[in-house]
Amino acid sequence: MEIIEKIKTNKSTDNLTEIQKICLHKLQSSPLPNPKSELWRLSNKSKFSNFLDYSFNEIDSKFDIPYPKNSQSTIRLIIGENCLIKLIEKNYSIRQLSEDELHKYIKEQISGFNQNENWCDLLNLSLSSKNNILGLKINGSKIPPIEIFSHSSSDSLNAKTLVIFLEKNCDIELLQVNLGRENSSLSQSTFFCLKENSSVNHGVVSFGENRSNLLNSLNVIQQKNSVYNLGSLHFKFNYARFEISIKQSAGNAKTNIKGMQITKKDEQISTYTKIEFNGPNGFLDQINKSLADDKSHAIFEGSIIVPKIAQRTDASQLSRNLLLSNFAQIDTKPQLEIIADDVKCKHGATISQLNEDELFYMRTRGITLTEANKLQLSSYFQEIISFIPVSKDRWDLLDKLLNEN
Amino acid sequence: MGNENLVKDVVKEPYKYGFVTDIETEKIEKGLNEDIIKLISQKKEEPKFLLDFRLKAFKKWQKMKEPDWAALGYKKIDYQDISYYSAPKQKEKISSLDEVDPKLLETFDKLGIPLTEQKKLTNVAVDAVFDSVSIATTFRKELAEHGVIFCSISEAVKNHGDLIEKYLGTVVPASDNYFAALNSAVFSDGSFVYIPKGVTCPMDLSSYFRINSGDSGQFERTLIIAEESSSVSYLEGCTAPMFDTNTLHAAVVELIALDDASIKYSTVQNWYAGDEEGIGGIFNFVTKRGKCLGKRSKISWSQVETGSAITWKYPSCLLLGEESVGEFYSVALTNNLQQADTGTKMIHIGPKTKSTIVSKGISAGKSKNSYRGLVKMGTKATGSRNYSQCDSMLIGDQASANTFPYIKSQQPNSEIEHEASTCRISEDQLFYLQSRGIEFEEAVSMMVSGFCRDVFNQLPMEFAAEADKLLALKLEGSVG
Repeated sequence: MEIIEKIKTNKSTDNLTEIQKICLHKLQSSPLPNPKSELWRLSNKSKFSNFLDYSFNEIDSKFDIPYPKNSQSTIRLIIGENCLIKLIEKNYSIRQLSEDELHKYIKEQISGFNQNENWCDLLNLSLSSKNNILGLKINGSKIPPIEIFSHSSSDSLNAKTLVIFLEKNCDIELLQVNLGRENSSLSQSTFFCLKENSSVNHGVVSFGENRSNLLNSLNVIQQKNSVYNLGSLHFKFNYARFEISIKQSAGNAKTNIKGMQITKKDEQISTYTKIEFNGPNGFLDQINKSLADDKSHAIFEGSIIVPKIAQRTDASQLSRNLLLSNFAQIDTKPQLEIIADDVKCKHGATISQLNEDELFYMRTRGITLTEANKLQLSSYFQEIISFIPVSKDRWDLLDKLLNEN
Repeated sequence: MGNENLVKDVVKEPYKYGFVTDIETEKIEKGLNEDIIKLISQKKEEPKFLLDFRLKAFKKWQKMKEPDWAALGYKKIDYQDISYYSAPKQKEKISSLDEVDPKLLETFDKLGIPLTEQKKLTNVAVDAVFDSVSIATTFRKELAEHGVIFCSISEAVKNHGDLIEKYLGTVVPASDNYFAALNSAVFSDGSFVYIPKGVTCPMDLSSYFRINSGDSGQFERTLIIAEESSSVSYLEGCTAPMFDTNTLHAAVVELIALDDASIKYSTVQNWYAGDEEGIGGIFNFVTKRGKCLGKRSKISWSQVETGSAITWKYPSCLLLGEESVGEFYSVALTNNLQQADTGTKMIHIGPKTKSTIVSKGISAGKSKNSYRGLVKMGTKATGSRNYSQCDSMLIGDQASANTFPYIKSQQPNSEIEHEASTCRISEDQLFYLQSRGIEFEEAVSMMVSGFCRDVFNQLPMEFAAEADKLLALKLEGSVG
């Protein structure tokens, strides 16, 4: 808990940015989230404190991207690597946000932050220094796919922040990769602002090595007629927490989310989503899949909030879970909070194991038990993986997952 | 068409149970402390074990905090401003119904609860509870012939102390929650049912709870024990007069089903809900739980919740016995400023246990209606199944409908399915019905009644008709 001690006693505020100061101030009175609150009560205490045990590291070790770039046209960025980004082409432009723009936007966001709900963001912003914040403003069309990497260094805690403004009528494919190194913690916060008529295919792939931890938070604001598609995958973390908050600020927007978390050994991975409709005609289609094996614990909590103004909202949320071992645990809690009357909202949840009839059928056709299991799992995974942009063909995520299992 | 006519009849009726019976009552002073508990116990001539049980519960309650997780907005309850015992003054002991104060009998007649046996045609035995005490229990002789014990809990304490000592607090321990602890400390009366081995109860049993006094809370306790291979159907109804103040109702219901036994517990709750401005009404904080102890035992809860300013109620099943079954069928309707936070807990402990949850919530006016439920599969619940369905219907754009299902599984060889949906009164269906000459309000009633059909089908006959009437009545003026 070295970090928390530091937050509590931090007096040398000279080198800190204004944002860091505000966030530190918010955290100082009660530096840890309330473990009894609904959002934190299932969080494994010792694992969570393990996240905070590593000493904070502002400077990264040398980082080699583990995957080759398949085409020259892909834009590849690493948060923390000091470089100026200014790409102005015929059809599009990508430029770094100025410090002022960044400060203004983040300040606006944190004004509404709450200790328990946004604890991950507050911690991230109080730690991440100028070098570790990447802000981009993207404009235009026919933009090549973008890959953005965040990583932690061994035996340390790293904090990375990404802010993206997507201008009107712009559409992009963006893959965000969070890599956890051995014995390390990574705090990643992403802020996405989608202007009118823009659209994003956003992929988030997070995986760790031995005993790595992750706090991953994603805040999205969607303006009118924007489309936000998210495909996410989290696996191989000692402790990982993925918080998604999406606000359709004036309704009339579309959100599609397909997420998956895979836990093994004694891992704990949780996903918390909060989708707010602040205007009419909003649309949401969400599916979250979990797979828990060995002694692991997978958690999903999703809330959909439809206030009076959000008439004609159409939202659906599905939580599908596979429990593969006698010692594993799954908790799921999809929730609806509705005040508007002219809406179509539904949710569903299932917890089961691999279908025995299917297994039996395949075995009668001469397929071995291991192969049959793999086939079943691949069909379970495929729905999510095929939704993750940029990576899907050459990263062989499916093979990676199946071999892990 | 029969039901629809009934609906039509009552659409214009106000809360008809809102009258107060002017009867001399014996009330103890307001406040809660050990002396008051000792006084209640003394008045009821209770054995020592029960007084100890009460005092222990009171100590626990003092250390507990009132729960706030349900996010129900109500003004703080002053527990020292409530009278914990109120009873109609009676001459000595009553040996037959003829000795009951005619005013009381009249009250129950007005409520449609026939207590005088000669008048009774329906085959239902009734235990009527007025404020803190049980007034009368009917059909005792007939029940006794079958070995069935159906009496007030105070009587049971005197005559069947061994059973009470053995089972009281085993399903809902005093330390279970704030309101259960309060009830354990001050409970005044309630019903006791014991069905011996192999007996199918020859008639439906029914309890009728009536709050008459404005400043005394009602804290009843019900205990039902179904021995091996027995079965019983139990009905519960509740009403209260209209007061501008809020009255507290904190009940505890415990059910125990042994091997192959089955208990069906139905409730139509129609406490006074307060007026359109939200003034007055009952605060209904109830803990209901059944334990399926035996193999192949079954507990089925069905409830129609239409009254109370605030409802906080989660009838639950602990499924311990192999192949035991838990069921929960609920209709909760809120109107005006009512708030209902209701649902169930199905805790699967034994192997091959099954549970079904069907919950229908209707919110109208500015009310708040939440379903909150827990389904848990323990490590030993192999081959267990759960199916849950929660549907909400919103009427008007100021009511809110929330769904909070908690699902937890630690057993891979079990299956849990949950689905929830929200809808409104379909305009197409309304248009169709109106084009066939059916009036607007009647059309709405028909649609609401259709929405709740799955649950009404599970209610005993006379309750189903009453439930239909109630819903139509409660919705009056909330549409259009």
